[in-house]
Order: sequence, then structure tokens, then C-alpha cells
Amino acid sequence: MTVSKLPEISARRRRTDKFMRGTLVAAFVLALIPLVLVIYYLIYKGIGTWSKSFFTTDPNGNFFGYPGGARSAILGSIEIVGLASLISIPIGIGVALYLVEYGKQTAFANFVRYLTDVMTGVPSIVFGLFIYIVLVEAKVGGSGFTAWKGSIAVALLMLPVVARSAEVVLLLVPGSLREAALALGAPRWRVVWRIVLPTARSGLVTGSLLAIARGMGETAPLLFTTAGVFGLTFNLNAQMNAMPLQIYNDILSPRTEVNNRAWGIALVLVTLILILNLLARAVSRRSRVA
Amino acid sequence: MTPDETTKTTSEASDRQPTDGPASGSTRPLAQVPDVSVRPARGGGGHAVKVRGLNAYYGDLHSIKGVDLDCPANEVTALIGPSGSGKSTVVRCINRMHEEIPGARAEGSVTLDELDVYGPGVDVTSVRRLIGMVFQKPNPFPTMSIFDNVAAGLRLTGTKSDDLRELVHRSLRGVGLWDEVKDRLNEPGIGLSGGQQQRLCIARTVAVEPEVILMDEPASALDPVSTLKVEELIDELKERYTIVIVTHNMQQAARIADSTVFMLDGEVIEVGPTNDIFTNPKDERTERYVSGKFG
Amino acid sequence: MQETRHHFRESLKELEQLTLGGLDLVIQQLDRALESVAYQDVELAGMVVADDDRIDGRYLEVHQAILSMLAREAPVAGDLRIVAALLHVIRCVERMGDQCVNIAKLVPLSGYEAPKDKDILDFIERMGQLARSQVSQAKHAFATRNTALAQDLVRQDAEINRLNREIFKRAVEVGDDLDVREWAMFMILVARCLERVGDNSVDIAEQTVFVVTGLFREFADAPTRPAKAEAT
Repeated sequence: MTVSKLPEISARRRRTDKFMRGTLVAAFVLALIPLVLVIYYLIYKGIGTWSKSFFTTDPNGNFFGYPGGARSAILGSIEIVGLASLISIPIGIGVALYLVEYGKQTAFANFVRYLTDVMTGVPSIVFGLFIYIVLVEAKVGGSGFTAWKGSIAVALLMLPVVARSAEVVLLLVPGSLREAALALGAPRWRVVWRIVLPTARSGLVTGSLLAIARGMGETAPLLFTTAGVFGLTFNLNAQMNAMPLQIYNDILSPRTEVNNRAWGIALVLVTLILILNLLARAVSRRSRVA
Repeated sequence: MTPDETTKTTSEASDRQPTDGPASGSTRPLAQVPDVSVRPARGGGGHAVKVRGLNAYYGDLHSIKGVDLDCPANEVTALIGPSGSGKSTVVRCINRMHEEIPGARAEGSVTLDELDVYGPGVDVTSVRRLIGMVFQKPNPFPTMSIFDNVAAGLRLTGTKSDDLRELVHRSLRGVGLWDEVKDRLNEPGIGLSGGQQQRLCIARTVAVEPEVILMDEPASALDPVSTLKVEELIDELKERYTIVIVTHNMQQAARIADSTVFMLDGEVIEVGPTNDIFTNPKDERTERYVSGKFG
Repeated sequence: MQETRHHFRESLKELEQLTLGGLDLVIQQLDRALESVAYQDVELAGMVVADDDRIDGRYLEVHQAILSMLAREAPVAGDLRIVAALLHVIRCVERMGDQCVNIAKLVPLSGYEAPKDKDILDFIERMGQLARSQVSQAKHAFATRNTALAQDLVRQDAEINRLNREIFKRAVEVGDDLDVREWAMFMILVARCLERVGDNSVDIAEQTVFVVTGLFREFADAPTRPAKAEAT
């Protein structure tokens, strides 16, 4: 029995196909435009301000003359977010471990999950306000605005992000590995410490890096807690500068050189976030859970 | 005397009554002659498992109903039965892995020699060190090398060992994996083939020197040649350990088990020497399952 | 690590040895039965009858072991043919044992006087030797899987059949003495038993060829002319 030629695609189908393709490409381009514009503007306006002094001098708040660089802002951000990471990442992973290994589907665990999800949606300014009332107003630790209080606010912001992504990653660890370890006679904490965490390590690192990237860019929590200063300081118990704060300050200034500096700092911020993202990707590619 | 009466025929010989043959309902009782295919049981030094009145639940579901079981020392006991008959559950109750499932619990008595596994105050982790388990799907730890995988049992239980390297090498030799991996002990464990991975998992279990090894369908996920290698291994392992194996492959039970237990719907239907179960089972349900009429 | 199914291979070897060992028992029985016929030794004949228990016991042992092996090891291909052939062979062994008993049981019947006809006795002796060598050759052929040797058995069987007919003719012409005629009748029966032993050996030879080639061919009934030994 011979098979006759298969029927051709009708003209109507071809037209529909072309139309849908066109629509999708248009939507894609539309979505891409603002992104491209932002990056273009950033580079265009910001790259000019990058110079040796930009990275080695602090902003000096002068009305005339050289306005200074952005060193204290960059280093300050790193310090504040660094401390925030030290706080939020272990706690976040701990929460995720509890949910996955111990709480599982109990009522309390489900409640914690719900709260964590809610926290990811809370506007960052609310965290700032919360810390302002609890720590700054009350002048806990002796002084009002300090860097470490800002770190706590940022940590509160990062915590649900870390917890959520860590939970997803920990759930990906096959149950058979836990079973194998338990069947060997390992106590549960050892199973977690020596088997589950190492297996999930790359995913946890990725999640943490993404949380750090998020924390770097937040302005609102720092406004009420750290309240930037121009000078460089390494004292976490004092006021400190940060990139978003400096940008905020610089944009409001009437001086164009200062405005330009804001663009430069914004470019640094985006570049840092880009580097963190690339790092996360490289780590996740290197080691995959089998 | 006529020649006819003197001529002997074969049927006369077979109608000879056995002196102490098994009481059976079969048509022609055979004399009790030594079974050449069953090796004599090893005496002394072994560890036996006894299960009495075991009931297991998944939440409200009563899945194991009053099971009694004997796993003699240094023998292979196989549990066979259709899916859902509870064979895996029973075995997981022996090393208390059943209770790791949320909502699951077990009642009854499981004894390893004189030790009551469910006794008050008994440390679950030490039970599992004495009763090891090999799973259906080979599960070497992906972040560890071959060497570390075998040593994992010792490290996870915090057991100090005088010569870890020697112990790991011995375990690998004991499972017949040594020649294949001796040059790549530091390579990841998951780089091996399926059959090798399973033998690696067996080496890992053996390295902590348990007394009993439970195996939950250890060869189902393997190709036929690897399956036979694992079966050979089990035959060697029973010299030093007591082995309980769950299998849905009846031929496997027929090949390697000394005694076979047939389970159905959470109950033990029949227990006996493997030879009897496969040539002359007592219960009709066993007969039907074993000859493939259901299951 | 040994090759796989080590235990099974060992068991199969043991089973074959057990079965072929039965042929050794048969040869023993045959020797003694023939001796008892030649010397009218009633006591020896009695021993042959009693010792048949050993052959029967061997039969049951092998039978049980084969059942066990089929149930537990599920042999296939060559192994399956071996097991099936061994079942057949042990039946032949049992039958051959029974034929020896039949011969032995004929001894006291043929009277306590010395045997009567030298020709017939010669024939019987020759038949006995042939039967014995057939059994021995069958065992050897099976053990070494030698199909040429197996097919050669047909040739020997032709000779046994010829001797059988000679004895019959001679018995018919043996003379008028009643005792001698009676004795000759019994010798016909003894010859027939020996002929049966020969047939069973040929059966074993056929099984040998089956094991090796997977084909079951009845060796042609021994014709009056000698059979050709083919190279298969």
C-alpha cells in the first residue's frame, strides 16, 4: 500500500504562525527596551565618572571644588551587607533545614512557611521602620543610627529570600541519600551536616549570592537605620555610608558633578550585582546534584 | 513360578513408603533423601532475627497484621509476595527505618539474638549499626569519592577505626569491587556503573561490620549480569552475616534463599525451606503465586 | 570473584556424577548376575536382588535433585538439555538394574544342577560381555560428550541382537532332555534381559547426542547388516 503525499500546511496555518511569531518577537523587544535603555544610560552617564580618585577618595560634601569619590559608599555597602549576610544566611539556611528535615508538614512548619512567604513581599521600608522604632529610637547599644542596625534591617530583608531558596534546594536532595545515611546508623544531625548540606551546597551558595545581590541594592532600610555619613569608617557601631544612600543624596544635589557621581555609583552597584549573579551561575554549573 | 511375577517394574520401587518423609498431600510421596542443592547450615557464631506479633501502621492504615518470622543465623531468608503485600514494610521494621516515615509506627517484638530492637531506651542508631540495609536503587553519596563512600558509615556513626584504609580496602575486596576500582579510589562514587554502585553500597554497609544485612530488592534496578554478580556476592556474604532479602523476582529467591517466606496482604501465608516452597508448597495461595497464576 | 552461578554449576556437575555413578552400580550388578548364571550361584543371585535397593535409592536421589534444580535454578539451553537427559538416563539406570534383578531371579529357577548346554552358555557369556561394555561405553560417551562413541553403540547392539537370535535358535534345537529344555527356556529369558540392557545403553547414547546437538534422533533399530557410524 503506498502512502500518498502528506497534506501540506494550509496557508491559514502559515499566516497564523507568522503572526504569532511576530507578536512574540515584538513583546520580547518591548520588554527588552527599558532594560537596554537602563544599561545604556548607566554606562553612558556613569563610566565617565570612574577614575582612580573615584575609588580612592570619600565624598566630602563640599559645595565647591572636587566633590570627592565614592570609596566610603562602596566599602560601607560591603561592610553593612557583609554583616547582614553573616546574620541572615545561617539563620535562613537554618529555617530551611528545620522546614525540610524536622518540621516537614506539621502545622507549625506550614505556619512558618506561610510567614516566610509573606515576608518576601513586605516592602523594604517597613523593615527599616521596624528597626528604627525598635533599635534606633530606643537608642539600643548606646547610639541612634548605626551601621549594625542597618545590617539587621537588611538581614531581615534577605532572610526570607535565603530561607525560601534554601528550602527548594534542600528538597531537591534525594530522600534516598538521607535513608542510606540513616540506615547506616547515623544520628539525624550528622545526616544533615555531612550528607544533606554538602549535597545541596552549590544550590545554597547560589541562593545566598542572589540574596546578597538583593540586599546590596536596597535603600529604604538603610535610611532610617544607618543614615549615611560621608566619611569612611570601619566602626560598625557608628553611622556608615552606603551606595544607595549616597546615590540618594547625590541625585538631590544641585551640582552636576555630584549628580554624575550618582550615576557612577549606580553603575558600580549594578556591576557588583552582575558579578554576583555570574558567580552564582558559575557555582551552580560546576556542581550539580546527581 | 511364572516369569511375570518375577519381573520387577519401576512402579514397585517408587511405591516404597518413606520412613520419615514429610506429611504432604501430594500424590506420590518421595523418600526423604538428602537434597543435594541445599548446603548445611553453619553452626555457632551467627546472629538470628526473630519477629513476633509485628503490627505496622501508616497513619490509620494497618498494613502489617501480626507477622511472625524467623531469620536463622548465617542464612538467606527471602520474602516474596505480590506488590503491596508488606514485605518491604516488615523488613524496614526490623531496622526501625519504618518509623522515619511521618505518621508511621510499629508494634510488636523484633529481637536480634537477645536484644529487643524495640525495647525501651534502645538507641535507634545503634540498632541500625548492627542491622544494615541495602536499598533498591543504588544510592552512593554523590559528593564523596569511592573511598569516602565506603568509609562514610564509619564517619557518620563516629566510629573510630584504627586503620581506616585497611578496612575500606577489605570491604571493597569483600564485595568483589577491588580490582575494578583500586586505581580510582578518589573518583566520585557516582561515576560507576549501576551494578558497581550497588556493590559499592554493599561495601559501605559491610564496612560498619553489622550482624545482619537487610536487602530491599537489591537487584531490581540492575541488568541481568550485575544481578547475578550481586547474587554471587550474597551467597558469599551469608558466611559472615545473616541476610534477609525482599524480592519480587521469584527466580531470584529460588536461586539464593535458604528459606522463603510468602506474604500476602500484610500476613505471612507460608514459610519453609526454599526447596519445598518451590517444589511442593503447602498452601494453595503459595502454589498459585509461585507458579505465576496471580501477582 | 568466580564466574556467576557458581553454586549452580557445582550442583549440576555433582548431579551428573551422581547419575553416571549409577551406571557403575549397574555394571557391578551385571557382573554379579552373569556370574551367578554361569555358576548357578543362588546366594550371589540373592545378593544382586537385595542390592537393587541401592540403584532404586540412587534413582530417587537423582530424581529429587533434578526437581529441585528445575524449580530453583531454571536452567536453560545446554544446561536444560543436560538436566532433561539426566532424568532420562537415571530411568535407564533403574531399568537396567531391574533387568539385572530379573536375571538374578531366574537363577534359582533354572535348577541346582550344572548348566546344560555349552553353546548357549557361551552365547550368554558373550552377550554379557557385550552388554557390560555397552554400559561402560555409554557412560564414557555421555561423560565426555562424544557423539561418535555414542553412535558406535548401535553397532554393538546389532551384535547383541544377533546373539539373542542365535540363543533362541539353539534353544529350539537343544534336544529332548526335559531339564535341558527347561534350562534353555530360562536362558532365553536371560538373553532377553541382556538385550534390554543393551537397548537402554543405546537410549543413553541417544541422550548424549541430544545433549550435544539439541536434536533427538532415534538411532535406527539395529538392522541385520551392521549400522554405519556417521560423523554428525
